[in-house]
Amino acid sequence: MDTHKGILLCGEIEKGTLAPITMELLGIGRVLADKTGQELSILLMGSDIGGLGEEALAYGADKVYVAENPLLEHYHSDACTMVAADLCRKALPSILLLGNTDAGRDLAPRLAARLQAGLATDAVELDIDPDTGILVVTRPVFGGNALASVMVRKVRPQIATVRPKTVKPAEKDASRQGQVIRMVAEVDSSTLKVQVVERVEEKVEGVRLEDAEVVVSGGRGIGSSQSYEMIWELARLLDGAVGATRPACEEGWISMLHQVGQTGKMVSPKLYIAVALSGAMQHIAGCSGSKCIVAINQDPEANIFKVAHYGVVGDYKEILPAFMGKLKELLAK
Amino acid sequence: MHIIVCVKQIPDPEIPSAKFKIDPATKKVVPPAGVPPVISVFDERAVEAACQLKDKNGAKITVISMGQGKVADVVKHALSMGADDGITLQDSAFENLDSYGTAYVLSKAIQKIGEYDLVLCGRQAADWDSGQVGSILAEMLGIPVVTIARNIQAADGGLRVERVLKDGYEVVQAPMPCLVTVSNEVGLPRLPTGMGIITATRKKIPAWTAQDIEIDPAQVAPEGAHTEIVKLSVPIRDVQCEIVTGKDAGEAAVELAVRLRAANII
Amino acid sequence: MSPVSATYWGLSGYVIFWVLFAVAFGLFVRRLFFLFRLMRQGKDENRFDNIGQRIRMMVVEVVPQWCNLKTVTRKDLAGLGHALMFWGFSFFLVSYIIFIGLAGGFGLAHVIEGTAFEKVFLTILDVAGVAVTIAILWAAFRRYIIRPERLEPSAEAAIILCTVFALMVLNVCVVGFNYALLDVQSSWPPIGAALAAWLTSAGVSQGALDAGYKISWWLHYVLIIGFMVYIPYSKHLHILTSPANVFFRSLGPKMAPQPINFEEAETFGVSQINEFTWKDLLDLYSCAECGRCHVNCPAQLSGKVLSPRETILSLKEHLLETGVAKPEAGADASAESSAKQMIGDVVTEDAIWDCTTCGACQEICPVGVEHVRKMIDLRRNLVLMQSRMPETVQLMLRNMQTKGHPWAGVQSMRLRGDWTGGLDLKILGEGGNDHADTLLWVGCTGALVDRNVQVTTSLVTVLDAAGVEFGVLGGEEACCGDPARRVGYEIQFQTIAEQNIEVFKSYGIKRIITACPHCYNALKNEYPKFGADFEVVHYTRLVADLIGKGTLNPAGGWDSAVTYHDPCYLGRYNEEYAAPRQILQAIPGANIREMERSQSTSLCCGGGGGHMWMEEKTGRKINEIRIEDVTSTGAETVVTSCPYCLQMLEEGIERKQLKSSLRAMDLIELVEKAIN
Ligand SMILES: Cc1cc2nc3c(=O)[nH]c(=O)nc-3n(C[C@H](O)[C@H](O)[C@H](O)COP(=O)(O)OP(=O)(O)OC[C@H]3O[C@@H](n4cnc5c(N)ncnc54)[C@H](O)[C@@H]3O)c2cc1C
Ligand SMILES: Cc1cc2nc3c(=O)[nH]c(=O)nc-3n(C[C@H](O)[C@H](O)[C@H](O)COP(=O)(O)OP(=O)(O)OC[C@H]3O[C@@H](n4cnc5c(N)ncnc54)[C@H](O)[C@@H]3O)c2cc1C
Repeated sequence: MDTHKGILLCGEIEKGTLAPITMELLGIGRVLADKTGQELSILLMGSDIGGLGEEALAYGADKVYVAENPLLEHYHSDACTMVAADLCRKALPSILLLGNTDAGRDLAPRLAARLQAGLATDAVELDIDPDTGILVVTRPVFGGNALASVMVRKVRPQIATVRPKTVKPAEKDASRQGQVIRMVAEVDSSTLKVQVVERVEEKVEGVRLEDAEVVVSGGRGIGSSQSYEMIWELARLLDGAVGATRPACEEGWISMLHQVGQTGKMVSPKLYIAVALSGAMQHIAGCSGSKCIVAINQDPEANIFKVAHYGVVGDYKEILPAFMGKLKELLAK
Repeated sequence: MHIIVCVKQIPDPEIPSAKFKIDPATKKVVPPAGVPPVISVFDERAVEAACQLKDKNGAKITVISMGQGKVADVVKHALSMGADDGITLQDSAFENLDSYGTAYVLSKAIQKIGEYDLVLCGRQAADWDSGQVGSILAEMLGIPVVTIARNIQAADGGLRVERVLKDGYEVVQAPMPCLVTVSNEVGLPRLPTGMGIITATRKKIPAWTAQDIEIDPAQVAPEGAHTEIVKLSVPIRDVQCEIVTGKDAGEAAVELAVRLRAANII
Repeated sequence: MSPVSATYWGLSGYVIFWVLFAVAFGLFVRRLFFLFRLMRQGKDENRFDNIGQRIRMMVVEVVPQWCNLKTVTRKDLAGLGHALMFWGFSFFLVSYIIFIGLAGGFGLAHVIEGTAFEKVFLTILDVAGVAVTIAILWAAFRRYIIRPERLEPSAEAAIILCTVFALMVLNVCVVGFNYALLDVQSSWPPIGAALAAWLTSAGVSQGALDAGYKISWWLHYVLIIGFMVYIPYSKHLHILTSPANVFFRSLGPKMAPQPINFEEAETFGVSQINEFTWKDLLDLYSCAECGRCHVNCPAQLSGKVLSPRETILSLKEHLLETGVAKPEAGADASAESSAKQMIGDVVTEDAIWDCTTCGACQEICPVGVEHVRKMIDLRRNLVLMQSRMPETVQLMLRNMQTKGHPWAGVQSMRLRGDWTGGLDLKILGEGGNDHADTLLWVGCTGALVDRNVQVTTSLVTVLDAAGVEFGVLGGEEACCGDPARRVGYEIQFQTIAEQNIEVFKSYGIKRIITACPHCYNALKNEYPKFGADFEVVHYTRLVADLIGKGTLNPAGGWDSAVTYHDPCYLGRYNEEYAAPRQILQAIPGANIREMERSQSTSLCCGGGGGHMWMEEKTGRKINEIRIEDVTSTGAETVVTSCPYCLQMLEEGIERKQLKSSLRAMDLIELVEKAIN
């Protein structure tokens, strides 16, 4: 086990720049590396990485492995597993961190299996156990009702995927020095078993309610279809879908397909924002699976406050603009 | 086509937060009285996906589940939806396995079943939410894996699978045999038909033990675990609604945004 | 001298008479035989039990026309017209046998002619003819001029009305010409004699009178036998079939579907016409198209697709079509040869799901058609064989399966046993309570939905005040299975019923008080088929009796105008109209105003038959219409005794923005307030 040293990150590239998750991995990686006094390295895979290796150094990496191959332009499960496993076998990191993203979710368990390592997914907190020097990963389980702390004692590397936007991203320091190592990323296309046929970017008018991670719903209190535009705006801002109560649908402010509830759609997003709706049982029936419910209503006695996690009492027409303003600011960071 | 679907029995994930209890010592959920365990939600979708393939192309579906106690219930449920055969894997040695151990046991069972074209898993178990078993299982079986599928079609002697991505989807062509993990986008699980329920009640569900599938005891021994859960806790969260205030509505709104951000919700 | 004894173109009148009769009767019998064979394609069902009761029922309903008279209202007197026509025509039927059959065909005219019997009978006929004529003119006026909603101005109806009218006219003509010809001096029968007198005074020649007599006699005869042939081809088939249909009417619990035997059945529900039972098919023959079901159906009233009458008629047409296509081939072959899919083409899925199972159609039907179970049989096929149902119904059934109750989402707030918190109750299975004679069964809605939990709490308070001893099941209580049964998921209903019966037995329960009429109906009427043997009582009956005995004294009163909304499953399904009204009458100050649609003609709240979990996508909302019924009484409180009705009424009030002037309450809440 002592053969394994250092922290390796699996960075991600998005549209020719380092993806936000990469900065976050570098941020937490740096913290852990400093705690254990180990080296922090990062693997970047792509077709044309250019100066991103140097940029990663500026964000805190000590060493950057660059794997360039046309086949790596987009994440490809078989190819990336091969390249990353190869590197791990050579570099023998003690800790391997990935993002809990489309790519990381797919890659991490495959690496864990190939390397006979241990993996904890969807970490929201990472720390080093002071006694053993082992990584302690805290992750929500049971739909967020509980938190589990996981340690990998007997095998290496200790792998974890980090939930986006939960750790502090690294700050850029152009003066930092380090080493960029260009790897020979030999990927033989004939060994790739799964072929990517196409990638489809979906720019839907609104997200499908059933799949949405964020749902913003309005009720009778919205008052008109013009005012309902505000609900749409908030939903767009959060990449979410728009829902409604039955009266809002019946008033014709929005199509019936958006009705949430006992006789409408059942949704279970991470965040459900209920605006100017009273929280009738028949409506709650459709959104009670949400991890977090936020209520905005001018009536402090409204039932929605009995089921919501966060609430603001007041006129939505005053609340939403301020809320959206602050959100834009926070999301831009 | 022979499809094997791995399903897991879990405590009802919709237990109200206020009623959610754990036993920190055994690291287990203590479900409230009268709330029975259920089939993991994504696994039920995996059964649905298998049934869709069966409807279209004809297939034999075998369902396996590793677990304790009334684990046969979830297999029965899958049978009533339209699966053809079911097997449970029950042995005291299978208790409290980590993802690696779970995948190992499943791989041994699948090897015993023998011929297959497709293995389906849920994208993650709706209790521990790890999302590991499918991929590890595929590596152990030495077959390709496609994760988080929203649509699976038989095409050109293989499978055409749509993978869910953050801002769209990806279409891949995979050879068979392979393993696919299924996401909820495949569609609502069908309600068992009358015939389905009757056939399921009549069906014998064999229970395989460690011996039956030639498990290497070292691989499932607690010392062999790759990952270890050292602590399970319920975060102290006020289930009461947190009313956010400010000197005016606008300020309260800003404060709300800040708090949601701090709680990692947005 | 009967015209039959004359000779026409060298042919004996008798030969003409009997040849015509043979042809007509042959056609008549052939048609009936065909219809009978079609009907026999239906599945078996035993409707031959309790013959005595059945005969009595038929005699009481049909002969005095109670079946029609009971539907008479101030607005709709048609039942009276039908009764007039029925009685009048009955005399004519007898007269045809005597005067045409015996006197004419068998040449016995001389035996009757000139007798007092003849005079008296012809006089009665004269009067009956007037009655029938009036009824006909009125019917024609109604159908073609007033055009009530329930009647279609069909050609068939016109043919019938004209034929009957012609028969009446010809009957008078025959008598008039005959008397004039024979120069009979009589003032009886009045109209016939008057015609004879007029003919004589007009100086019509003997020859013309003879010709007039013969022509009107033969025309009359041809029309009668023609009518006989026409009957089984028209909606007037009901003349022949409806008495039988009343005879074979279900004697069991009202509107109850047949249990499916899952051990034996290979298909479930009905997707082909021959999967109905023979009684269902006899229903189709019996429909007189009167449309009473149509105008009383909440789906129709609110502009949905479903019309019970159209459903029955389309099914009848489909039955005749599939049968005619290949009468020789087996049942399956004939059904296959029809390109039409019964579900979809004949009855649409929308129509099938529109039914709230309220039973208004069946209750009002004069000929005993059983609509509701047909709708459930169709749903059974959709759900159990094809997995086709509205998505929200599927989610409801999934909830029943995984959580044991139909209410999605409540679980985020409460568990089934939570309502018992803070109440001093004997909870079976807890604290050593392992037995109770009487069980209070609260039902899913009363245990889980906030508003309805309040009602449950009131019920407990009232029962405690009356010193009623009972146990509850708390968290162990399960769904009664009614929502599953009504949407056609019979297998789940049966499993649940069997489990519940086991639980009741394990606690030695003898009597069950229910809060919800749906539970009441299931437990009382539908569980016995699965081995239950318990006394089941709805709280309204129990409380009415307690008030009657003086155990409860609602002296506190209630100071406002109230109206009572009859829940379908308590009223029509179980005919409990009295108890709730007795309770209301016992509450001083409760000024009761009945709605026009009440008791057996009460309008559904819109929530039955699984509709609590379906969206009304077309037309108006049923609960809004019901709230309009309420407001037209001027009541300030609408009282009901069903958790679904309460929810629907409250929502209707909210929808009509009447919250400030109208409130909905459960009857037991009123009682609770009044006894304190
Ligand atoms: C069988 C059945 C099935 C049903 N199914 C469904 C269903 O599937 N989905 C569904 O949604 N409903 C359903 N309903 C209807 C449900 O009972 C409620 O009537 C409905 O959800 C209420 O909608 P609402 O909250 O928009 O309206 P209201 O209850 O009128 O609430 C409006 C709220 O807006 C607030 N408000 C007003 N103005 C402002 C402002 N300027 N700023 C902030 N707050 C403001 C008010 O305080 C109030 O709380 C069903 C009902 C029944 C009986
Ligand atoms: C008391 C206790 C102690 C535990 N200790 C540990 C521990 O020390 N280390 C640790 O890592 N975990 C531990 N666990 C967690 C647990 O064993 C997890 O179930 C395991 O990690 C598998 O991961 P998962 O269930 O999240 O499956 P995922 O990887 O999320 O599952 C994905 C898919 O795999 C399939 N699958 C998963 N499980 C089964 C099954 N049993 N039968 C059939 N198919 C299945 C399903 O298709 C599922 O959708 C413990 C649990 C308990 C109750």
